[in-house]
Amino acid sequence: MKEYDVIVIGGGPAGLAAAESAHNKGAHVAVLEREARLGGILKQCVHDGFGLIRFGEKLAGPEYAERYIDTVKSLDIDTYTLTFVTRMRRNGNVFDIDCVGRDGMSKFRAKAVVLATGCRERTAKQVLIQGTRPAGVFTAGTAQNYVNLMGKLPAKKCVILGSGDIGLIMARRLTLEGAEVEGVYEVKPEPSGLTRNIHQCLHDFDIPLHLSHTVTRVFGADRLTAVEVAQVDDKMKPVKGTERIIECDALILSVGLIPENELAESLGVKINPFTKGPDCDQTYMSSVEGVFSAGNALNVFDLVDYVSECAADAGAAAAERKSSGECVRIERGKGLLSFVPHRIDLAKPCDRVVFFFRSVKDMDKGTLKISVDGREMYKKKFAFLRPPEMQRVEIDFSAFGLKTDSAVSVELEEN
Amino acid sequence: MNLKAVAKRVHKILPSAKVEEYRGCVRLTGEADSWDVVYRCGVAAVDKGSLGVLNDIRLKGFCEKVKAPSLRDGAIDGATPDVLVIGGGIMGCAAARELSKLNVDVLLVEKANDVATGASSRNDGCIHVGIDLHKGQQKLHYVLRGNEYYTQLAEELGCDLKRWAQTFMFSTVWERRIIAPLMLLKGRLLGIPRMRFVTPEEMKKLEPTPPSWLTGAVYMATGGVVSPYKVTIALADNAVENGARISLNTMVEGMDVENGVIKAVRTNRGTVYPKIVVNAAGAFSDIIADMAGDRTFTIHPRKGTDLILDKKKAYYALSSFARSYFAPLPASAREDNNAAVGHTKGGGVMRTVDGNVLVGPNAIEQPYREDTTTNLEDILAIIKKQKVAAEELSTADIITYFSGVRAATYEEDFVVRRGIFTKNIIEAAGIQSPGITAAPAIACDIRDWVKDMLGATDKADFNPYRKHTPRLADADDETRARYIASNPDYGEIVCRCEEVSKGEIIDALESPLKVCTVDGIKRRVRPGMGRCQGGFCSPLVVKIIAEHEGIAPEQVLKGDEGSYILFGNTKNNGEGGVK
Repeated sequence: MKEYDVIVIGGGPAGLAAAESAHNKGAHVAVLEREARLGGILKQCVHDGFGLIRFGEKLAGPEYAERYIDTVKSLDIDTYTLTFVTRMRRNGNVFDIDCVGRDGMSKFRAKAVVLATGCRERTAKQVLIQGTRPAGVFTAGTAQNYVNLMGKLPAKKCVILGSGDIGLIMARRLTLEGAEVEGVYEVKPEPSGLTRNIHQCLHDFDIPLHLSHTVTRVFGADRLTAVEVAQVDDKMKPVKGTERIIECDALILSVGLIPENELAESLGVKINPFTKGPDCDQTYMSSVEGVFSAGNALNVFDLVDYVSECAADAGAAAAERKSSGECVRIERGKGLLSFVPHRIDLAKPCDRVVFFFRSVKDMDKGTLKISVDGREMYKKKFAFLRPPEMQRVEIDFSAFGLKTDSAVSVELEEN
Repeated sequence: MNLKAVAKRVHKILPSAKVEEYRGCVRLTGEADSWDVVYRCGVAAVDKGSLGVLNDIRLKGFCEKVKAPSLRDGAIDGATPDVLVIGGGIMGCAAARELSKLNVDVLLVEKANDVATGASSRNDGCIHVGIDLHKGQQKLHYVLRGNEYYTQLAEELGCDLKRWAQTFMFSTVWERRIIAPLMLLKGRLLGIPRMRFVTPEEMKKLEPTPPSWLTGAVYMATGGVVSPYKVTIALADNAVENGARISLNTMVEGMDVENGVIKAVRTNRGTVYPKIVVNAAGAFSDIIADMAGDRTFTIHPRKGTDLILDKKKAYYALSSFARSYFAPLPASAREDNNAAVGHTKGGGVMRTVDGNVLVGPNAIEQPYREDTTTNLEDILAIIKKQKVAAEELSTADIITYFSGVRAATYEEDFVVRRGIFTKNIIEAAGIQSPGITAAPAIACDIRDWVKDMLGATDKADFNPYRKHTPRLADADDETRARYIASNPDYGEIVCRCEEVSKGEIIDALESPLKVCTVDGIKRRVRPGMGRCQGGFCSPLVVKIIAEHEGIAPEQVLKGDEGSYILFGNTKNNGEGGVK
């Protein structure tokens, strides 16, 4: 049995940042990573644009990861790679973690855990694409792995469904690597990815973006030979008669990310229906005392810089383990798609709460308003709000005079 | 045979159809505008006094391009097996294994690049009790024997079998009072053991979340579930371990029949000269029977779709349960397409042996023998229908879905017999639901017939136990640690959703029946079967297969020939690529 103060599960950008800050708070820390190398998904994100906020410079994904890996390795933090968590359970005040690895079965015990397990991609079947089951249907992340880690081309002529960031990045990447991207199709009337990616990945390469369109069917008994695309109505249902067959050899999907919380759920952690990650307080502690959540497992972020920031806070909180008290829930009002944190623990400091949120729709101008017991206590104006782009704001909740029975709600008003 | 009455029924549907007797069968010829007409004529032609229906009514303009391997070599040319088994579904593989208990030379041919690629991998894996069957049916005879045989079979093959029961749930008091006792009585008459009535209170102890409307249920304890493709693969592996040969990518193209004896069977990989042919060709079994001159039946392909839900939703169902169809459904849940509902139990909700929830299947009569495409209307209709039984069910739970084609005959029964017009053929045709349950029992009869026909003796050193690696994720810590100590690859997890190690994948690549495709590995040890559907592990699996086989990743196939995954190197990774 290996014992630690804090065990971080997942060695990607969130896990590494959490481990570093937990260590800096004096905790004895271990990172458990199932893959052979640290760095998580950043290993395959060879494009640049990472680190503008965190490091003030544009880094490629592996470079960004390398900075954290170097830091973690220079500190007295134990990292276990090819170590897969098979089971976690609460044992009084501690957590017992069973792992399997190339050297056998191992057992860990921690006073606190940070779940930095990342997210997974939605699949073709989850968006109800029909037809045959040929080779040539890939999620964008899988295609990215083939191209960037294996140096192999998964498509010669492809259609991309979904304008999420990985889809956009892959449109550019595949074009650069010698494949033809027939077009990017997005079921929503607005693009799902960052504006900068629409420009840099599609416009600069003359790749058409078809909004309010979806892929309904794939063809081909063995390798994909064509897809059917159709326009959708305002309820995102395909419109009969608008179907078009596009001959191609691959369909690449960037249709959403789902936080990975199977381990969290096995501990009884409550999942927030809007973020699909653990319901958390301002220290990123979940509904289970001592279980913290960080990065895309908590909430799918748009920038890795935010992932690192939130994870560092979660790691520090896991090391400190401030005792928790009564919580006040933050109710979701109109205009907001999702936000973290979901509750304020009155026993923990709340004078500098980092509040991440997304708008429910495009807004040129919007005002974030927080009211307590019906009284408006806070407002702040934002410009150019788009659902794909996460907003970050620091809020002093201690100024609101919160009591255990306060009714706190937050809304985003379009103006 | 009452041909007049048959003709009257058929002509009501298609006046231009020609109805005649042919060698004891009712034969229909002509042309129709819709498949529905063709199908209904076939149903109308069923006559107890005939050997079966030969429905040769053509559907105008219809043509199905049947998948055929392009390979042409002489791999099996000139082979003289004692028994040639045609078809590598559960029927063919079970037959090959039973035959490998005898001192006979067995060759099985399958046109796909693996066994269990047709209906045997596209069904719910239910081990049926047979309550929906009737006295006198071959289906009932073999289901009762097959159900019982499975306990031993699963043990020998090292396949999971869970006797999680089948339950038939009532939503009204009158069903509970009238249908339940009738069902129990029918069960007694049919010889189905361990059936009983359960109250909603008892049901709560048996099922995690029984439906709110439940008034009672008939509980059939011998009902069970297996992984149908794993059982099929295990049967094939054990047959090979005991000396049977399996030739994949091998399609029967013709036969030479002289004086009621099959002399030669022509395939794309050479001509074979068997003493006996076993027809286990599933959806194509009538075509094979016709080649052999022994056809007395017609396959009308009946498509069905099943949905697989996330393991997190396992609490929806434990037993294979269905809502009684005697009481009408609430109007909101009535099926849009119920043309064929009489020929399926109507589908249901059940837990698969691997712990997912399976919902379905539906039943659609259609002309294609190989159309396994899925359609949105079917998916939505299945959800709508089964939501009555599993009230929380939603499309958000779905991780995958698939369709299969049942090899149904118009008599809605199996055709299991020795040849009538051809001496050296054994028909194991029309094997559809409950074929997974019945096939191993049918295979025992085939073995006995072959033994009788060839005067064969039992193989003294037959080993019924398939060598296999246990599923390590389910093994106890001690077993798992022992495996990892022997080979660290058993500790390297490749598929995180299903917790599959590299060692287990390599073992699968070294199976007696070697199939080195991504789908082949997926069916054997489950990488890619989980909620991410291979998003994370498929590049790793491709790499492991390539390294193990000494081939380039772009040569790794998903399934059949042509299903390549990669096109060679990227532009920035040097020149190259195979295609």
